[in-house]
Amino acid sequence: MKQITLTPKKFSSIALEFDELIPDEIYGWSKEDFERYEVPVGNTRFPLTDYYEIEVEGEAESPEEVKLTIDGDAGRVKYIGCKMGAGEIIVNGDADLQAGAEMTGGSLTINGNAESYAGREMKGGEITIKGNVREYAGTSYIGEWRGMSGGKITIYGNAGKQLADAMSGGEIHVHGNCDILAGIHMTKGFIQIDGDVTRWPGGQMKNGAIVVNGRLERLLEGFELDGIVNDPVVEGREFTGKYIKYIGDIGVNGKGSLLLNAEKNRHHL
Amino acid sequence: MAYEEPVKDYDKIVENCTCAFCGSNCDDLDILVKDNHVAGVRHACRLGASKIMEDEDQRLLVPMVRDENGELVEVDWDTALDKAAELIAGSIRPVFYGWSETSIEAMKPGLELTELVGAVIDNQATICHGPTVQAVQNVGYPLMTLGEVKNRADMLVYTGSNPMNAHPRHLSRYTTYPKGFFRRRGRFDRTLVTWDPKFSDTAKLSDIWVPFEENGDYGFCNAIRAVLKGKELKQDVISGIPKEDIYELTEKMKNTKFGALFFGLGLTHTLSKQRNIDIAIQLVQDLNKYTKWVLLPMRGHFNVNGFNIFMSYEMGFPYGVDFSRGYPRYMIGETTTIDLLNRRECDVFMVIAADPGAHFPGGALAHLANIPVIQIDIHWGPSTEMADVVLPGTFIGVETAGTSYRMDSVPLYMKKAIDPPETCREDEWIVNELLQRVKNIKEASK
Repeated sequence: MKQITLTPKKFSSIALEFDELIPDEIYGWSKEDFERYEVPVGNTRFPLTDYYEIEVEGEAESPEEVKLTIDGDAGRVKYIGCKMGAGEIIVNGDADLQAGAEMTGGSLTINGNAESYAGREMKGGEITIKGNVREYAGTSYIGEWRGMSGGKITIYGNAGKQLADAMSGGEIHVHGNCDILAGIHMTKGFIQIDGDVTRWPGGQMKNGAIVVNGRLERLLEGFELDGIVNDPVVEGREFTGKYIKYIGDIGVNGKGSLLLNAEKNRHHL
Repeated sequence: MAYEEPVKDYDKIVENCTCAFCGSNCDDLDILVKDNHVAGVRHACRLGASKIMEDEDQRLLVPMVRDENGELVEVDWDTALDKAAELIAGSIRPVFYGWSETSIEAMKPGLELTELVGAVIDNQATICHGPTVQAVQNVGYPLMTLGEVKNRADMLVYTGSNPMNAHPRHLSRYTTYPKGFFRRRGRFDRTLVTWDPKFSDTAKLSDIWVPFEENGDYGFCNAIRAVLKGKELKQDVISGIPKEDIYELTEKMKNTKFGALFFGLGLTHTLSKQRNIDIAIQLVQDLNKYTKWVLLPMRGHFNVNGFNIFMSYEMGFPYGVDFSRGYPRYMIGETTTIDLLNRRECDVFMVIAADPGAHFPGGALAHLANIPVIQIDIHWGPSTEMADVVLPGTFIGVETAGTSYRMDSVPLYMKKAIDPPETCREDEWIVNELLQRVKNIKEASK
């Protein structure tokens, strides 16, 4: 097992890009390799040692045996864990844009808030965010019809606008509240939101399932009432209590399921 | 308004000039020239005419550099260009913003300079129709030319825009009033509809006004789409509009022969941003199952569309393109100007043919005030107050010829009518000079 710890020593307002520092690339690196490495900052590269104290312990034969810890705020470090396929990354603070984007495996834990595009086009692996996420978590690239297609994102805080746009697989669990248009253009996959939702979950969705355990303010006309269900089983997960089930978005002949906790959403009945 | 005598004292008329104001790019302007000055403009609207007529007011005429006391002082071209090139060559996160009020010819060396230094190149779409471009990338672009609308359209819908104030000749020249091949009686053959929370000047002229509530655009379009699919609406009032009105409007839209939807920043910049355009485009696609419908964004500056077309053609991305890693990247919120400024990332800012000082949010301006700003422009404006190097350009379409793209993506070659002031230089020349000087600095440092 190789344990790599990066402790911040200098802040850069121009974001550092960490897409090359993923377990798949660095499992064979020694401490000297890290000290020689220059990290992209804007249109230039600067030595990683300018920004971090580096500690490397143990050896790894494969990416699975790597544990990379950023021991402090990474609020200006983009692409943490981008395209990673194995191993573990832990951020003991906030993470900047594109954390876990295009991830295919392994695990990324952010013990703070994450900026926009966390888990963009994620294909596998697991992202855990202890704080809030901004816009477009688990979303697609601009213009792309397939967003997140596998893996799991767990958000313990609140999620921003347009969560999981064009989701085509995988699972997102938001423990907090969620802003507008969660699961827009969704074709497959599962979203569970335990908190309240402002407006319009599932806009233009074709398939997949969204469960809202909190209160939903506004529902789109594109959703047809399917009935009240007791203790539903959605995508293999059991929920207890009464849920209002809608099918939609009929604007796109969608057959997606939207389930709202009946107790908290009486105003829709 | 007092009566003004027609201008009779002029040397020559330059016919069929193209207006360099809004995205309508009216190309039927006659500019009256007297002693190499514009004496009058015929056919232009008040906005276009005043821009051309008052060209010399507040004009930047000489290059300037801000001295150690914080004052802009006049310098020669070499000093100003060297200073600008030095700032650009030494920057880590430069942003080159603007380009929408200059010609395609000036953008070409601009893109080369961007690639050379690894900068971000962006235009005004980042604060106006950027969401439109994103939605087009998602769901397509059922567009037309304005000529088709003039000759065929019998229903016109304006939403989130007020052309009577912002594109004054749009209705009279292209859409509502002109007599077309299939619309011989002009206005009488057409139904004008405005969807807008405000009773705008365009709404006042309209046959139907649909005042949906603010931020209600997405829900409203979704409801029309549901009706088109045969659904009975459950809520009595959707986005502030009674459901009976939605049924009636949907029926009218289905029964036109050729409908055109025009939308502006009222749609792009409300709550659901690009998703408003996304669903509007899909609504137009749905309506095409019944009759012919098309859609077009009401672009603001005369060449804002040109920059998006130029960049898409050259680099595959429409705006906010980042070359910092040596290859083009495009990610809204990451490589776009406002975000780079709000995040305090940008370290040198070059503005060409734009006025961020007047248009950007406070947080972005606060950062601009702290970093070196290079301005290439023709008029003294709020951006000049923040600029460290000022390079005076020329007026495309009046003093310099050049290519621009109208809002419906028709390219137009803009004539010149008068010679530019002797001390000013064309935008293309300035950007080319910067490119050569930055190249020299880079080669010298190797």
